[in-house]
Amino acid sequence: MTVLTVALKYLRGRFVASALTSLSVALGVSLVIASGLLSRGIKQGFIEGTTDYSLLVGAKGSPTQLVLNVVFRMDVPTPNISYGTYRDLQDDPRVEVAVPVAMGDAFQGYRYVATTGGYFAALPWRRKTFAISQGRFFRDDPPEQPAYEAVLGADVARRTGLRVGDRFHEGEEMAEYPLTVVGILRSTDSADDRAIFISLASYWQMNEVSRKMQVKPLTAVLVRPKRMSDLAGLHRGFNVTAETQAVFPSAVLLNIFNVLSLVDEVLALLLVIVAIVVLLYLFVSMYSATLERKREIATMRALGARRATILGIVLLESCALAVIGGALGVAGGHGVAYLGASMLGGRGGPVANLFVVGALEPVVFGGAVALGALAGLLPAVLAYRTEVAENLAPLS
Amino acid sequence: MTEVPAAVALHGVKKAFPLGNGRSLDVLNIEHWALPAGRCTVLTGPSGSGKTTLLNLIAGVSLPTAGTIAVHDTNISALPEPRRDRFRAQHIGYVFQTFNLLSAFTALENVMLSMMFAGAIPKPEQRRRAAEILARLGLGARLTHKPQQLSRGEQQRIAIARALANHPPLILADEPCASLDAGTAREVLHELLSVCREAGTTLLVVSHETAVLAAGDQVVDVTAINRPEYRVGAVERV
Repeated sequence: MTVLTVALKYLRGRFVASALTSLSVALGVSLVIASGLLSRGIKQGFIEGTTDYSLLVGAKGSPTQLVLNVVFRMDVPTPNISYGTYRDLQDDPRVEVAVPVAMGDAFQGYRYVATTGGYFAALPWRRKTFAISQGRFFRDDPPEQPAYEAVLGADVARRTGLRVGDRFHEGEEMAEYPLTVVGILRSTDSADDRAIFISLASYWQMNEVSRKMQVKPLTAVLVRPKRMSDLAGLHRGFNVTAETQAVFPSAVLLNIFNVLSLVDEVLALLLVIVAIVVLLYLFVSMYSATLERKREIATMRALGARRATILGIVLLESCALAVIGGALGVAGGHGVAYLGASMLGGRGGPVANLFVVGALEPVVFGGAVALGALAGLLPAVLAYRTEVAENLAPLS
Repeated sequence: MTEVPAAVALHGVKKAFPLGNGRSLDVLNIEHWALPAGRCTVLTGPSGSGKTTLLNLIAGVSLPTAGTIAVHDTNISALPEPRRDRFRAQHIGYVFQTFNLLSAFTALENVMLSMMFAGAIPKPEQRRRAAEILARLGLGARLTHKPQQLSRGEQQRIAIARALANHPPLILADEPCASLDAGTAREVLHELLSVCREAGTTLLVVSHETAVLAAGDQVVDVTAINRPEYRVGAVERV
């Protein structure tokens, strides 16, 4: 027998109370872990999912809406810009690459993204690479001869079950324009996994307004200047016009992070309250257990147990509850974060690197054990100070 | 009467409990008293006469207001608390009226706990020794039972086994049969006396029961020793 086995025996002796106390610690820890993981994952998702292009040109409106919609496939699309804007950019000597993008409707919740083959081009400055796992990329067909070919993002193919060669359309009104799957992309760990890529020609034919009015609307143009020094000029040039705006995706991302950091601060405050509640629950549990056991403590002292031994037993009990709760909480927190990430992912939210173990887990686990020790301190001192004769007297 | 060495010797022992406002209640005032070694002494006396207080003082769980208490020539009341605890664990066994077994532990573990506190028996040997003592008291088939699964007589036997676990030279028993029916009390008393006599252990029993009074080697009325004029040898033979 050791002091630890005595502490564990006592915990087993009041199994239900111990289990509930550990569960409360576990819930608190899992809340902290899940919040931390999701917060980190969302930020990482935004960073990894952002575009390689330095500038985004779209219709006048909210820069955040433009970036969220065109880059992350969130929010509603901004108004259209004309194809001429793309032409202007293509002809601009300061521009190295300009890629037109039009955001269309959706098939089973996965948005159509009309673009050109340039969207998938591997360029030396691009971090992101696109590769086909099955089939091929669609062809840049001429506007008058749309091929209605579609390339599916990895998640779209997995969730819809569509394969190369399958034909599909959303709703009866689109039955005239069925798309054929010609390729499936490898996972890119970005919003592109949840997109259905089609050619601009197909999009314009499928779009009733552009078909009837003979216009070629676009949502945005992704721009890479030849020199970074030209970026400010391009940005200014497209912002002074009444129809367009040019935004730096990185600046918008910074704004999003500023908002997220505010959320983090509020969350931190809530988590501190959770930690205090868990601390109080653990304290009350240990305090009442010690009060109930004063006669047993006096008996142990009468049998020769030193005060320090009694102190150690109570502290170890409290720490053991925190260790069990902490371990369950870390595991549970990952589970909750996984569920949260799945829900966010299902709605197009960017979440990445959820299960990379960092400093969070050991810090939270260590914090839980420290809280356990703190909660057990007063009950342990109470046990330490138990007067033997006084507590044996009524029944002896 | 044959001269017997003292297992416990009290000199000028006083015990008073503070009542507040500078007043106190004097419970014990023993000028000189010795407990003969290797004998069973029954301590009797009316309620509130200080029997349990005297037992607690000898065990070192409370300290006298004045005087010295020597247990096997060690002034237990002068020892610092951690050494007093260790001394008690190794040299004194305690049997309580209500058994005071620890409910979360099995019979075997209750006995082993006593060994753990004393720290005199190597850990690998504790289990074997505890099982041996329990078997000696007829509880060989009850090793893994928890106190609440056992009869009152069995519980008191475990308490006796726990008191004997470290082979202490002195056992203090506070009303050990008071919570038992007459038949069980007789059996438990018989076992307590026989194991103590077999090992030559000094036994000090607080009791009012006729059977216990009759079984002791000597009976001491606490009111008789709890006076300044009391001297060694003023004991009553049964």
